[in-house]
Amino acid sequence: MKSGSSKLQRNIFIASFIIPTFVFYCIFTVYPVIKGLYYSMFDWSGMSQNKEFVGFRNFKDLFHDPIIWKAIGNDYFLVVGKVIGIMVIATFFAVALTRFNFKLAGFLRSVYFIPNILSVVVIGVLWNFIYNPQIGFLNGFLSLFTKEKVSITWLGFTSHTIWMLLPPAIWAGIGFYMILLIAAIQNIPDSLYEASELEGAGQWQQFRKITVPLIWEQMKVSILNIMMTTLNGSFVIVWIMTQGGPDNSTQVMGSYLYQMAFQQYHFGYGASIGVLILVLSLITTVVLQRLLRHETVELG
Amino acid sequence: MNVGIRNPVAKGFFYLLLLIWAVSVIYPLIWTLLDSLKDNEQFFIHAPWSLPDFPLLWSNFSYVWSKYNFNTYFVNSLVVTVGSTLLGLILSAMTAYVLARYKFRGSNFLYLLYIASMMIPFILALIPLFFLMNSMHLINTKLGLILVYSSSLLAFGIFVLVGFFKSLPKELEESATIDGASHFGTFFRIMLPLSQPGLITVAIINVLNIWNEYVVGTIIVNDPTQYTLPIEIAVMQQEMQYRTEWGPLFAALLVTIVPVLIMYILFQRKIASGITAGAVK
Amino acid sequence: MILKNKLATLSLATVLAVVPLTGCGSSSDNDNSSNQTNASTNASTNTNTSTNTSTNTSTDATTNNSSTTDNAATATKLTGDFEIQYFVGGYGDKWWKKVIADFKAANPDLNIKELAGPKINDQTKPRWIGGTPPDFVYIDGPGLNDRQMVEDGQLEDLTEWLKTAKNVDGELITDLLAQPAQQYDGKTYNIPLVLNSWGVFWDKALFKEKGWTEPQDFDQFLQVSDQIKGAGITPFIHTGKYPYYINGAILLPAIVSENNNDTSILQDMGNSKVEAFQKPAVLAALNKIVALRDKGFIDKASIQINHTDSQMLFLQHKDAFIPNGLWLPNEMSKDIPGGFDFGFIPSVTQGAGGKVVANTSTSTVAIAKNAKNKDAAKAFMQFIFSKAQASQWAELSGAPSNIKGDISASNAPSFVKDAAKYLTDANTVVIPTITFNADVDKAMQDATDALTIGKITPEEWVKRVTDVAAKVKQ
Repeated sequence: MKSGSSKLQRNIFIASFIIPTFVFYCIFTVYPVIKGLYYSMFDWSGMSQNKEFVGFRNFKDLFHDPIIWKAIGNDYFLVVGKVIGIMVIATFFAVALTRFNFKLAGFLRSVYFIPNILSVVVIGVLWNFIYNPQIGFLNGFLSLFTKEKVSITWLGFTSHTIWMLLPPAIWAGIGFYMILLIAAIQNIPDSLYEASELEGAGQWQQFRKITVPLIWEQMKVSILNIMMTTLNGSFVIVWIMTQGGPDNSTQVMGSYLYQMAFQQYHFGYGASIGVLILVLSLITTVVLQRLLRHETVELG
Repeated sequence: MNVGIRNPVAKGFFYLLLLIWAVSVIYPLIWTLLDSLKDNEQFFIHAPWSLPDFPLLWSNFSYVWSKYNFNTYFVNSLVVTVGSTLLGLILSAMTAYVLARYKFRGSNFLYLLYIASMMIPFILALIPLFFLMNSMHLINTKLGLILVYSSSLLAFGIFVLVGFFKSLPKELEESATIDGASHFGTFFRIMLPLSQPGLITVAIINVLNIWNEYVVGTIIVNDPTQYTLPIEIAVMQQEMQYRTEWGPLFAALLVTIVPVLIMYILFQRKIASGITAGAVK
Repeated sequence: MILKNKLATLSLATVLAVVPLTGCGSSSDNDNSSNQTNASTNASTNTNTSTNTSTNTSTDATTNNSSTTDNAATATKLTGDFEIQYFVGGYGDKWWKKVIADFKAANPDLNIKELAGPKINDQTKPRWIGGTPPDFVYIDGPGLNDRQMVEDGQLEDLTEWLKTAKNVDGELITDLLAQPAQQYDGKTYNIPLVLNSWGVFWDKALFKEKGWTEPQDFDQFLQVSDQIKGAGITPFIHTGKYPYYINGAILLPAIVSENNNDTSILQDMGNSKVEAFQKPAVLAALNKIVALRDKGFIDKASIQINHTDSQMLFLQHKDAFIPNGLWLPNEMSKDIPGGFDFGFIPSVTQGAGGKVVANTSTSTVAIAKNAKNKDAAKAFMQFIFSKAQASQWAELSGAPSNIKGDISASNAPSFVKDAAKYLTDANTVVIPTITFNADVDKAMQDATDALTIGKITPEEWVKRVTDVAAKVKQ
């Protein structure tokens, strides 16, 4: 009897906490996204009142589109580059600022986070000026060391231009993950380090034997997060800096989606790219989860 | 105790690396300031890092400020950011708490649904979202932005807060139940205050995201009186393509950077401790 | 000397934008425009003038009769909201601000709302999709494509209306158009307002100083480029981030020259006909770009920079030639250094003695099919397609308009008058405006970029573009 009413209370509580959020979420996120995905089955310019149902034709076309393969390649290049770049540098900074007894550690930590508070638009504009072939910072700097004025077109190589988008992405991303890792390291009991010190272990030994295994969980979250934000969000910086050019050499899936859906009047096709991003994100998450779990076992 | 690095050469080397990175972060800001005081010609004649000629062109700032209504945008940004962060926080905390502490049919599925939705490319939703907002008469309103933004924050908030609620000791609720507290009472009087560090983490990350968001903003808001700062910067950046006003462009960048920078300097301890609290389970 | 003139012209244009227009064009036009201006400045007090003009426009809209009397005025007064969407790019917005103010003064009961800016096309896009577009649209800038808008059924069919439509001065609008309106299956949806020509610019003063010959054909162009390069200046810069500049000013005229001045090949390309892209003329034209590339004439910075950056480099004499449109001097007016004197030729790729090929592009105006206030939109069309506006556009926007009208007496910059001469010269091959399919256009742009940096061969260019064209044709 008592359990019955408490069960009811419990259910009312659950419902009242779950349903408003869920309904709200369905209206403003799930519905528009599903509607968007649904358009991947249509030949629709995005402007017209008429849409033609074409089934899976957009996906077939996608498969034969050389640019999408290039874009997928670039996306994964950015994922790998950012994961390595950000994780290595952020981990180094995190360790250096917590374990090395540097005087300026607190100040540097505050400074390193600054790029994370800047809008991507700001970052894109700044880096465009750094890369500008004539009045840019990079060429000006290099010219200090050469007789002739350096005039490298940083964003205009015949191939591999995508490499040039890595530095801004890493530059902008490090602070957040560094703070995350610093927090994790600070949470490691000092006694562990003290014990290993008594055994004569150096910084590197401590790093490998204590720090990495104990912050692995945060590193894993960081890696997954970098992957997801890259596949979903790298198009913003690409769009601001190169618009996918020259000759699609910096195209990523998101920018190509934008290009197709909003510039070339193939909204349906763009939507099918969106489906592709979704599928690849899911697959990559599962694969990464597996890989990283495996690693933990080895390290442990 | 932590003894740091013993080898002085290695220590010096590491220090150098750290300082180089610090310069690479701070210098662009200084560079932005210097360039905001130049005219177009100086961009060509002098090296990019040269100091601006005298007289300094402070007029670039007044030009940007008067031509583009930055105070309005600032207030708009503030309203939208605070509103959507609060709404998003409340809604995600409620769901996260239930998902973390109660087992019921479909709870796992619901959790996965929220998490999986973080991977959905949001650009896809832009056009349907426009129709939706249009039919609800929320186009060109701050409320419309707040609703969409807070909804987009839910998944992340739930993800972090579920982890956080799970980390709180089970005994808390048990003792609360023994004391006769209802489910609601337990949540509002015990769990919510305890989860403050987690909430702060989520709030800070949300504030940063919303403050800088412009892709959705440019679609839902076309009315200049309703622009937020990043929307205006994006519009300005486009306009610059037809005007070549590099000095004013840098001035505008600085105008957008400075408020967040001040916020950051004021709240940086909270921000750091917020992220710290969230990361440590 | 010449520069001073030019600066005077430009500042005059600025003054004209704010101060009532005092005198330009023929005398009758003059009366008309000063009337309107009076009305605009004293809108509240000078009701006489404004009702007068409003009579003209509003009655035109319904009866196509221009010479109506004053007492018919109130009956057909334009009221309600009227939304005008216009893109602000290289031409600026001075002309729009002026003409809208005049129109507002003429129709005081009309609530005119301007949707303007460089991003306006993106910003209003949802409204077009949602079926609540602005009433009147100026189709220019990225994000709007007239062909696509017609295909999507966004624009009002103006075929019948245009046949008899007269402007505020009582002249038939079609008689005033330098380039006729484009036909889509025999129907007219949009009317060209701005006439632009692509072409190559240089600084006459610099050429004079260095003793370089201003090029008239491709051989001369190569020759002088060699000299320029020898003098330590890069001969040629283009806007690699937006390769339609080099396509419009170099590639397309070159194709026509190579095709015995027959422009039909471009029309076929515009219709995405695969055979058109496979003609030898295309390959020969591409090889001219390859020649520029292999001789090292193309500034390496081109590939990554946008138009204003490339134009700045050109104005700073880092580069001698730039392919561009006639809006260039107006767009850069603030940054033109002292002594700079624009030289312009529509094409440089013709053989010795060959005809100059002018690749024109028009920017059009149209009425939305779902417009709420079509009467006002039509009246506005009748208002802007008048001879007075030909001069006014040329002055305020620094470019020729598509309205026939003698601008020689106007304050328009001298190169605009030069360009206008080119466009009316019998010895010039004028390519009518062609809107490419968006996919084909993008493929051509990407391929040209790739060609200029030596990534692909002309044959690969053709292959790539034909593949896309074939797919579009399906």
